[in-house]
Amino acid sequence: MRALPLSFAVALSLLLAMGGLLLASRSAQAQQPSSPPASGSAGLTQSDIARMLPATDMGADAARNADPHLRPVNDSPATPFDAASIPANPLAPEAQAVGAKTCIACHALENVQASHTLHVASFRVGTARTGPQAACEACHGPGSEHAKNPTARGSIIGFTHGADTAPETQTTVCLGCHAGGARQHWLGSVHQERGLSCSDCHNPMARMSPEGVLAKPSINEVCATCHQDILAKFNRRSHMPLPEGQMACTDCHNPHGTLTRPLLKTDTVNETCYTCHAEKRGPFLFEHAPVRENCLNCHDPHGSNQQTLLVAPLPMLCQQCHTMTRHPNDLQVPTNLGTGPTPDERLMGRSCLTCHANVHGSNNPSGSRFHK
Amino acid sequence: MRAFNPISVAVLLGLCVGWSVVAAASDTSGTMRVGDMQYGNGLDPRGWTPLVDPDADGMSWLHAGTLRTPSGALYPYPNAPLGDKPLAPGSDWTYWGLLQLGYIHLNGDRNAEFFRQYTDWKNGAALGLLAVGLNNTKTGSYVEFRGSRISSDDQYYRLRAGRYGSYRVEAFYRDIPHTVSTAAYPLWNGVGGTNLTLPAGLTPGDSTVAAVQQASRDAARREIKLTRTRTGLSVEGGLYRNWVGFASITNEERNGDRLWGGPMFFNFAFPSTGSPYGGNGGVLETVRPIDFTTTDVNLGLRNVGKLWHFNALYTGSFFRDHKDYLNYQNPFLVSPVVGVPAAGLVTNGQFSLEPDNDYHNLRLELSRELTWRGELSLAAAYGTMRQDDDLLPPVNCTGTLGFSAGPLQQLIPCADWNTSAALSKTSANARIDTHLLDAKVSFHPTNAFAWHADLRYYQEDNKTRYLSYNPITGQYGYISENGSQGTVVPGEVGIFDNGYYNTSNVQIASIPFGYQDTLFELGTDWNPSRSNTLGLTYTYDHDQPKHRERSRLDEQRIKLTWSNRAVGRATLRASFEYGDRDGGKYNYDPYLAYYSASLPGYVPADGIAPTAFTVDAMRKYDMSDRKEAKAKLIVLYPLGETSTLTSTFYGTRDHYDAPVGRQNTSTTGFTASWDWQPGPQTTGSAYIGVESTHLKLANVADNEALVDEPGGENADLGGPFYPLENYWHDLDNERDYNAGITFAHDFGRVRLDLGWNYTQSLSKMNYDYASPGALTHPEAATPDGVGAFPNNHYRSSTFNAGLTFPVVRNVSVRLFGSYQSGSFLDWHYLGFDDTLVYDHRIYTDEGPQLHYSVTTLGVMLNVKL
Repeated sequence: MRALPLSFAVALSLLLAMGGLLLASRSAQAQQPSSPPASGSAGLTQSDIARMLPATDMGADAARNADPHLRPVNDSPATPFDAASIPANPLAPEAQAVGAKTCIACHALENVQASHTLHVASFRVGTARTGPQAACEACHGPGSEHAKNPTARGSIIGFTHGADTAPETQTTVCLGCHAGGARQHWLGSVHQERGLSCSDCHNPMARMSPEGVLAKPSINEVCATCHQDILAKFNRRSHMPLPEGQMACTDCHNPHGTLTRPLLKTDTVNETCYTCHAEKRGPFLFEHAPVRENCLNCHDPHGSNQQTLLVAPLPMLCQQCHTMTRHPNDLQVPTNLGTGPTPDERLMGRSCLTCHANVHGSNNPSGSRFHK
Repeated sequence: MRAFNPISVAVLLGLCVGWSVVAAASDTSGTMRVGDMQYGNGLDPRGWTPLVDPDADGMSWLHAGTLRTPSGALYPYPNAPLGDKPLAPGSDWTYWGLLQLGYIHLNGDRNAEFFRQYTDWKNGAALGLLAVGLNNTKTGSYVEFRGSRISSDDQYYRLRAGRYGSYRVEAFYRDIPHTVSTAAYPLWNGVGGTNLTLPAGLTPGDSTVAAVQQASRDAARREIKLTRTRTGLSVEGGLYRNWVGFASITNEERNGDRLWGGPMFFNFAFPSTGSPYGGNGGVLETVRPIDFTTTDVNLGLRNVGKLWHFNALYTGSFFRDHKDYLNYQNPFLVSPVVGVPAAGLVTNGQFSLEPDNDYHNLRLELSRELTWRGELSLAAAYGTMRQDDDLLPPVNCTGTLGFSAGPLQQLIPCADWNTSAALSKTSANARIDTHLLDAKVSFHPTNAFAWHADLRYYQEDNKTRYLSYNPITGQYGYISENGSQGTVVPGEVGIFDNGYYNTSNVQIASIPFGYQDTLFELGTDWNPSRSNTLGLTYTYDHDQPKHRERSRLDEQRIKLTWSNRAVGRATLRASFEYGDRDGGKYNYDPYLAYYSASLPGYVPADGIAPTAFTVDAMRKYDMSDRKEAKAKLIVLYPLGETSTLTSTFYGTRDHYDAPVGRQNTSTTGFTASWDWQPGPQTTGSAYIGVESTHLKLANVADNEALVDEPGGENADLGGPFYPLENYWHDLDNERDYNAGITFAHDFGRVRLDLGWNYTQSLSKMNYDYASPGALTHPEAATPDGVGAFPNNHYRSSTFNAGLTFPVVRNVSVRLFGSYQSGSFLDWHYLGFDDTLVYDHRIYTDEGPQLHYSVTTLGVMLNVKL
């Protein structure tokens, strides 16, 4: 198939984007109501609604305080899960907890869907001894203001698009239970700095993934929401087995923050690679400096058009550094290919690696040039 | 199915039994450990798709559709309930399950390398998915199992059990295939083992080229592949109050083979002159065995308090290679260039394969909340990599190699070198230690302003020392290329002494590369409005490499970021980064101390200084001055209530201050995708992506006539040895195009899903040169001094279709098919479909198929348990 010029593809993308914007604006206009929406159900006042809601059902503090192994608490009106407290909502500081029954009175289907998740299952267990509690409010904050005026913006801690709740407030809620461990370095991580919220990747309100209460059915699909360019590289000739379902981005990266800028799970790039490629760890009698320094000097772990994830075709990859006297520094040309009049092993097949096969390091006493 | 490693199982059972579990808040540590986060396969990459069944009721009675992530992407519709049923009347346990079992049939080029790269497709029965869950709603206990099997080399099974908020135990078994080549024709016997021997009809060291060609033609086609068999067990849970611990052990058996090499000195320099024995040297593409065992142990302990967060992690990794060496026979006659017969035939070559190694890493992390919504975070880690494998002797030859011709008495008595007594020490005793210190402080004194500072220090200390010295002969150095180089070229055995070889400049010791890196970062975030965040980060990176061309590298980087949620309903994230790297004086030959020219007794040949190691204008790209600019824009735009447009624009520009070496690289690309879900019954998506990359390098061919002659010591670019007439460039251009479409609709009686994925990569290598002197064969030069290689390309197109329809209650059938086609060209393999033997070169891998198409058809029975 003949390749499309890049300029054409860019123009096509911009056209699509503009078309989409136009469609969106028409759609948005079409969805605008002709008159302001009534708050709550038609014909009912806020006090009517408040009166119709079921009574709250509290008392988890008592159970927790009765457990000699747990620290006594009195910092919230309900503790739906052992370590969880009801977070304050900065946008509704006067709100009070109303209990899960109150929430479910309106959000019945949400309750059904959320009940299938690990998240709510955990809450249920945490409150099993004391009955249904403020499971919803452990994340969404005290619900009284929301119950009184469901359409009032910011009356509940929201985790979705357009919510008035700031991303920092959202993540603070989640970290109320999930701090430390894998999230020890969330603060200062690139995802935190770019204003991502936990619910950009997770959706604890429905079970959409095998584990991790993800926002999409798989880890890789979640990451590709923003990192499409990276996922596309896995379609190339040489790649790690992400498209084949054998790996996930999170095999190497911890999106919650780590000690490295690219969110690697280990101290360095190489230590991450060595986890699966332990044979490359050595140390070897004879080391190849750029190999020991950083695997990315020669490999692109996300995918490559060359063999074995190399960042450039052989022997050019090697000739970027190896100008040494004699055989490394000759220009290779098509006449040196297998179909040419002067075939040359420096170009054909595995090129330099046919002789320097131990390029990652040699443990042979005659292996200083990785021949052995 | 392979057996579990008994030691691993024993250790983990001990861990499980010994784990004292108390009810406390706990959290999983999966994203702290490398690997095994994903269980899927080519049949179902998600490992979950049969359970993706959008619930017609949707997510809420209060609004249509689904909500969006804070950034604007639509959440999918929730899946229909898994249908928990009581395990027994009155039981607190409920269960759900799904069994998907069926048959797969392949048509077409089923052995195409790119079709089976990471999937071991087979005709026959397959377990699509077995997923079972048990829950106890009163105790919070649960058990979950998932498994799938395409073949005995492509399967996974994972069991998780535990109690919410208390503990979790996990065990898994998986086989991951990796096919490297499906068109390999190794002519040796013993492939898969450590001793490759020539077939009947070939004489080691004395075969004609015609005989080798015939042996190659007679060689059977085989796959080069390996399988990773991983087993693991982990346990995690609350220990006491806020203390949470985890322990895991995984064991991997990696078995198979890979393409490898086999040097017997150059062939390009010695083309055949018509002799039936061909030219000289030997270049052999062999096959090596893969027989690895890696056992990893991870232990963790953490405490999460209201103010303090503590984290301790230990990682141990123990690699064992059950094949220490690869011996291979050489069929070709290797002969001296001085016109005398060799003292003996060069018949055998040898590689040391990777040594066993042990790795330990202990990391301690401590964070404390501070005033102004601040946090102080400290981390320290110590790691060590060690191996002490017995060393092989320098050669495995017997008899005498080399030659004797008048004053050239270049004989290599193998008995002096094929024994471990020829080593300065008998085991490697290699070790690299690493140290990491990291301190970070961040504050958010107001809602509109935040800043952070980070100081990181990392050191890699290579303690390996090896001297290439033979106590038997009193000589330094080694026997190069199994004795072949010393058999061909006078003075190039690879050894140094104060006698015949006193002019030989060879490496005589290992070089303990290492580095220490100190990085300081200062950053601030400012929210000028509720919908805008601006960020500015300055980074200073001070790197001190050991035994490299530079002893100091300094890089300063500025990064600007902008996040915006005010343009319509879109979320924009833009960043721009600029980096400038320089450093200390560049020494183009820092390795002199590790070469025999530094030893007493070294005598320059004919009084001429040693030939220049390399050209002085060379700048290795990890050591050169560099200016780098990166830009990226990610836009998520909600289109109406049912779709999302996502687009990414990105580019990188790198300029290296290198007259010789990598000079610049650039990448420009964009992606756009549209996700659409008008209702739970219908979903669709479309995707396109384009990327363009360029890489330019420069090099200069030396004037080989001056090797060991006056002028050969001159390293100046433009000097007699590296003349500007021999200067040349390579320019690699690559374009990648990706597209994809998916559509699924539930018609009620039948659910249809369609998908198409397309990738095309085009690569073009151009070159130019100042004069024919840049080429090995000047006669290939063109008048204009420019040229190009044939375009490489890789194209893959896969169309998938599936129909799922219920048969009876809880039973449905899925019919599916896929058609994958592709084409490929890589000039490295041009001509290999005609012959794999070129003079004294033997190739094993014919390369991936140039065109292929495969149809996969399958039927699966889905049974809800």
